Amino acid sequence: MKGGLGQLKIGSVVVTSAWRLIKANPAVWAIFALIVIFSAIVPEKFLSVSNFVAILKNFAVTSMLAVGPTFVILLGSIDVSYMGVWMFGGALVWLLYPYLGLASIAIYPIFGLLVGLFNGVVHVKARVPSFILTLAVTAVFAFLTTYVRNVSGVLTLTVPAYNFLRESPIPYLPSPFLLALPVIVIALFIMFFTKFGTYFCAIGSNEEGAKLAGVNVEKYKTLAFTLSGLITGLGSIAIFVHLGCQTRVDFDPSELVRGLAAIVLGGTPLAGGMGGPHRTLLGALVYVLIFNGLFLLPGVDPNHLKLYVGTLLLGAVIAASRALRGALIA
Amino acid sequence: MAQTWISREWLQRNLNTIIPISGLIALVIALRAANPYFLTSWDSVITLVYGMSWFLIAACGLTLVILMGSFDFSVPSVLKLSAMIFAVLYPFIGFASIPVSIAVGLIFGFINGMLLARFNIPSFMATLATSMMAEGLAQVISGGYTRMITDPAFRALSTTMIFGLPSIFYWTIITWIIFIFITFATPFGRMIYAVGGNIVGTRLAGINVKMVRTLVFMICSMLASIAGILYASQIQGAHMQVGVLDMIPLFASVVVGGTALTGGVGGVHRTLLGVLIIRWLDSGLSMLAIDLNVRMIIFGAIAIVMTILTIDRRRIRIMK
Amino acid sequence: MSAANPIMEVKNVSKTFDRVVTALDNVSIEVRGNEIVSVVGENGAGKSTLMKILVGVYQPDSGEMYYLGRRVPFPKDPLDALRRGISIVYQERGVIPHLKVYQFLFLGLEEKFTKLGRLQLGKIIGLAKSVFEELGLECDLTSSIYELPPSTQKMVEIARAILSIKLMMVGDGGSEITPIIILDEPTAPLSLEERDELFNYLLNLKKSNSFIFVSHIIPEVMKFSDRIYVLRDGRVVAHHDLSSEKVTEDQLFREIVGRESYYDLWAKYVYGVGEVRERRAILSVRNLAKKGYFENVSFDLHEGECIGLFGPAGCGKSEIAKALYGEISADNGKIIVDGKEAKLKGEPYVRIKMGIGYFSGETGKELFLFWPIKKNLSIVNFEKVTKKPLKIASVISFKAESSLAEKIMKKLRIRAPSVEAECYSLSGGNKQKVSVGKWLEKNPKILVLEDPTIGIDVGAREEIYEVLLEMKRNGTAMILVSDDPKEYTILCDKIISVRNGIVQAVYTNEEFRRLMGL
Repeated sequence: MKGGLGQLKIGSVVVTSAWRLIKANPAVWAIFALIVIFSAIVPEKFLSVSNFVAILKNFAVTSMLAVGPTFVILLGSIDVSYMGVWMFGGALVWLLYPYLGLASIAIYPIFGLLVGLFNGVVHVKARVPSFILTLAVTAVFAFLTTYVRNVSGVLTLTVPAYNFLRESPIPYLPSPFLLALPVIVIALFIMFFTKFGTYFCAIGSNEEGAKLAGVNVEKYKTLAFTLSGLITGLGSIAIFVHLGCQTRVDFDPSELVRGLAAIVLGGTPLAGGMGGPHRTLLGALVYVLIFNGLFLLPGVDPNHLKLYVGTLLLGAVIAASRALRGALIA
Repeated sequence: MAQTWISREWLQRNLNTIIPISGLIALVIALRAANPYFLTSWDSVITLVYGMSWFLIAACGLTLVILMGSFDFSVPSVLKLSAMIFAVLYPFIGFASIPVSIAVGLIFGFINGMLLARFNIPSFMATLATSMMAEGLAQVISGGYTRMITDPAFRALSTTMIFGLPSIFYWTIITWIIFIFITFATPFGRMIYAVGGNIVGTRLAGINVKMVRTLVFMICSMLASIAGILYASQIQGAHMQVGVLDMIPLFASVVVGGTALTGGVGGVHRTLLGVLIIRWLDSGLSMLAIDLNVRMIIFGAIAIVMTILTIDRRRIRIMK
Repeated sequence: MSAANPIMEVKNVSKTFDRVVTALDNVSIEVRGNEIVSVVGENGAGKSTLMKILVGVYQPDSGEMYYLGRRVPFPKDPLDALRRGISIVYQERGVIPHLKVYQFLFLGLEEKFTKLGRLQLGKIIGLAKSVFEELGLECDLTSSIYELPPSTQKMVEIARAILSIKLMMVGDGGSEITPIIILDEPTAPLSLEERDELFNYLLNLKKSNSFIFVSHIIPEVMKFSDRIYVLRDGRVVAHHDLSSEKVTEDQLFREIVGRESYYDLWAKYVYGVGEVRERRAILSVRNLAKKGYFENVSFDLHEGECIGLFGPAGCGKSEIAKALYGEISADNGKIIVDGKEAKLKGEPYVRIKMGIGYFSGETGKELFLFWPIKKNLSIVNFEKVTKKPLKIASVISFKAESSLAEKIMKKLRIRAPSVEAECYSLSGGNKQKVSVGKWLEKNPKILVLEDPTIGIDVGAREEIYEVLLEMKRNGTAMILVSDDPKEYTILCDKIISVRNGIVQAVYTNEEFRRLMGL
């Protein structure tokens, strides 16, 4: 009897929390809608196993670019250094492989951590607007990566020794997705089971109030940037494997927009204070579904990707701009 | 008296001016040392003029936006799109393609301005999105191919020699002077500084902030368009690489000139200094056979350092 | 512990800023167990400086602090103050809107609930529940702060203050001491009913806590305090124990504003208010409403007339003023300026064109602090300083700009080296004069004034009143919103009393004076 009641209670908790989740995250509706639409238009292509795997892979890549910076966006700041971490981190792995062997993949998180720490310290101490700062960091590392490629006279910075990572032990679940899972778990843990998530939200919601409440704002801002770098560094391993154990060597702004778009689509407002990695995951899924489905449609030219990405980002920020109404912003 | 005007305070107050000027002098000396032929022949002067004329026009537009405390990423993309429209349409409608091209620029500026003023979307985000769209459109109308125009009239727009200097030089200087005049001596210019200095106060003083913001973004995109048209004329056509590597140098030259990223401080007049420094540095570095990517890294670093130095921290309580 | 013995006591506290401005001069106060002690005074009387010393934000220049009879050093920082059982609830900046209630309750206190880096959410929520039960507070712990009504937000803040003291003091016999909670103008954002709700809550909490209630709203102070300290110009000028003596609101009011010189100033102008002759109505407001702020506001403003909107802070008076100026938009009703109907969804620039100007004492808001005086003065007067040489574009004439600025500076006696001086280097009073000066030559039909003399000294006040009265004589109509009843009697012909966003009554200057006992 008691157990039955308990089960009933658990069941109702699940239902109510599922309902709350849907109510709080319009992205869930968008995901349903996209699946329904594309299943209706191009069922044989969209609902295939290979497409499912492709979606999972792309989801892994997009979410790994977006989950880290979400912590910084919670502050109301912005971090676009993920491109730099991803690109140059890979170059470092390639450069150091001859010396460190397989351990050189650990460069990724270490490099991410250091870049994040640098961003945080410069932003907090020298008071540089975070967007410009992290964009410059990304640009510097992106050009550095291209430079490394040019100087070493190879076409790609590939480390074939890691090819074993591309084999997935579980059928239908691609290895980039499996590599992304622990990173997602870490991010969610930080958000919901440590005080950091609360602190980041508090700073984004009312920085002065957080200071008055005894939160060391400078410390936790720096920490958010550092975490963002670290998580991106860890996540970059999944992207590295996805691309065939190599890194990107030329900067592509549509990749940069990808992360931002996933965050905005997920419903974390740029003004900060609310949202989190859980929303970004949903946003990443929306982003992936849109582009996955779009390129299955007849007459859609992948060469015009930038046009679509730009339009999508624009639509997303306009839709999300309600949270910013009323304030006069830069 | 000497003590009073070269005091520590004086130095701090005029840091924005001292750094660019001393930087320029140091740069000229260094370039002279590295290359004895630097600026000795008239040809090298003309090369420099070609290198920075169109660039200065675009930088003037960006300066206006930064003076308001906003940012515009779409400058290089609009520049490319305008160059492309001009080159693609020229064989069909001739110079009538110039107004078309500028109109497209104005539309992009209008969208940017409205996104900020009406929808309250941070300008860097809004312009990042529109820059992607402009890039995409350029790709669509060109099909990704280089468009060469061999018609001498097309080329004459920028390269007609007047008093030993190409016409693009005069276009640029006229634009530059007009915008110095607008920012210093017209109410509209005053309003741009006002928005950058204290946006709430500007609104309360009865200035239509939304209109000023929209207009400034339109001017910025229009100048990017003009720069693109002149550049297309200078290089006899347009290709997809136009403007690709220009965002960092553009931004660097604005802040190196001494215009603070936080708005309200600096001006179009300063941007000439910044452009001189950045373009000379660029040509000096390429003379030393330094890789393009490394040059970009250097510009990025300069931009960040100058941003740190020029931000007026007295007026910013919370930095996002 | 007997209630008469003070828990906390400060003696002879003095504090000066920049070695010149004396904020506090030999102030001594004490806080006893389980009482509400009020500290009242005007803006700038030193209330907030004293509170900041008590919570360790400022260090005093001299003075002593006693805790439970023992001499202790002044707290070094807010955390140190917490350990002594003193916490503060700030006026408005303390709330963090997007946090959940339990997150806000424990913000900054998570250390004690962390195990191996993992937050023990169950423990936190359990404790939060028991705290809320103990305090008699009812609200959903998982809702976000901004979803709560303002009074509940304040209560949650107070609960947070008590909780943080309790958690900090566990280990030094924390259960035995009485926490001291400082409430800095807690009622400012609240409506009248919400205030009553808050006060009932406080009276309930008094059983186990002491409160320092900082306010300038006299009726509230009279109603709920056990003792009252009156602060004026950095000194304690009166101390009343309401259990043993009777004090009238009137007496308290005189003690608060009783500066001789200010009184003189008031006496000089108070009878100077002219008769309102039948003049043209220049502004007609009909049934103006904005949901949640004010409703059904109607009045006529005539040329050269000044109408005051009077009421407690948060009653909707400043929102009405802002709606007239276009800083916020009303939802309903009509605003007719000189026969022309204004759009309700107006921006300030539209209203200025119609002839409405605005001046607020909050100088940081309106002034361009890093601009020279002349640019600040010409920003609304472009048509006066521009020429149209080519008939198409207007060009600023720097000469005209300077002479305009010099003219205004002379008239207002703005003390500055030149018209080129940057505004941030001016004193508060001079800043205010620059702020009001820009309207002098603009000659708006209507000038909306919000706290025009807040935080400035008597001399500067007088000069600003002079300017305003002269503009009034020249036919400028005015709307005044202020916290100082005297200001109304100096400037206004008619006073509209507003409560909870509804017009209660209309008084003439004389009736108002009688009502206020002036």
